[in-house]
Amino acid sequence: MNTTSADTTGTTARAKSATASKTSLASSAKFKTFAITFSASGALAYCLIQFFNFPLVTYHPATHRLVWGYEGPRPGEGPNMLWYGWTLTALIVCSVLGVLAMMLPERISAKIPLALIWLLPILAVPYIVYSLMPWWVQAASH
Amino acid sequence: MTDFITVNTYWTLWLLAHLLLAVTLVGALTHQAVAVALPVRKVAGPAGFVTRYRAVPPVGYATAVCILWVLTFFVGSYIYTKYRIFIRIPLEQGGYYKTGGFFDFKEHVSTIGLLMLPAYWYFWKNAQNPQYDSARKWTTIVLCAMCWFLFIVGHVINNTRGFGS
Repeated sequence: MNTTSADTTGTTARAKSATASKTSLASSAKFKTFAITFSASGALAYCLIQFFNFPLVTYHPATHRLVWGYEGPRPGEGPNMLWYGWTLTALIVCSVLGVLAMMLPERISAKIPLALIWLLPILAVPYIVYSLMPWWVQAASH
Repeated sequence: MTDFITVNTYWTLWLLAHLLLAVTLVGALTHQAVAVALPVRKVAGPAGFVTRYRAVPPVGYATAVCILWVLTFFVGSYIYTKYRIFIRIPLEQGGYYKTGGFFDFKEHVSTIGLLMLPAYWYFWKNAQNPQYDSARKWTTIVLCAMCWFLFIVGHVINNTRGFGS
């Protein structure tokens, strides 16, 4: 493969496509602040919500019962499911943080490190593995 | 619905829909991640398979990836109710604890990936802005790695106790 130019086909196409597809939402400074804050806080918010166990709802799949907040499994009603509740709480928390960040002056909101968006999900992995310890302990002892 | 198809067929169709959406998503994200991580320079001779694979315009995938992630997430959330009763309990009874643990790992990763989507979309819709080049590249690569993890765990779960069970 001979390289003849520093320009890339991908970059050229990317720039043309980006110009054509840029929407008003994508050019909005407010949306930028919201999106970056929402995503930067996502992994941390979700891990904290899961750690402190703050589900918005609890679902009981055997009885199709949905209740607000946390409710443990009840005798004769099968298991409970918390993941829906954790996800909904995380969506609300991140949305609130995003809206609050939109109210800040841009000189402050612009200082949010963009690397948090991809770095925190990687850093969350050891915590997630730790939070699933009962599974690994049972697997080791089985 | 059960007047037309059996309950088992109904849930199998949803599982297949989840699979097809996931295959499309993993394909789109992999194309985009490879294109952004290893961009193709102009080649003088004929381009090989790998070069053509990397040469896709990655901007065009962003909205599709977001829609596919959300759709796959919703369908997965729907069939998850059946997993909890009809798959996870037999897995525990059979001593497949690592498989069950990795499924719980998958649910956490899918939510964290969902929460990354607004910034991912914004970065790609501003692809001409060099300020976001690094964040766009690494967000896409991390999302792609997450998607492969979700896909492989889902595949293993399905092999353990999924399709038709």
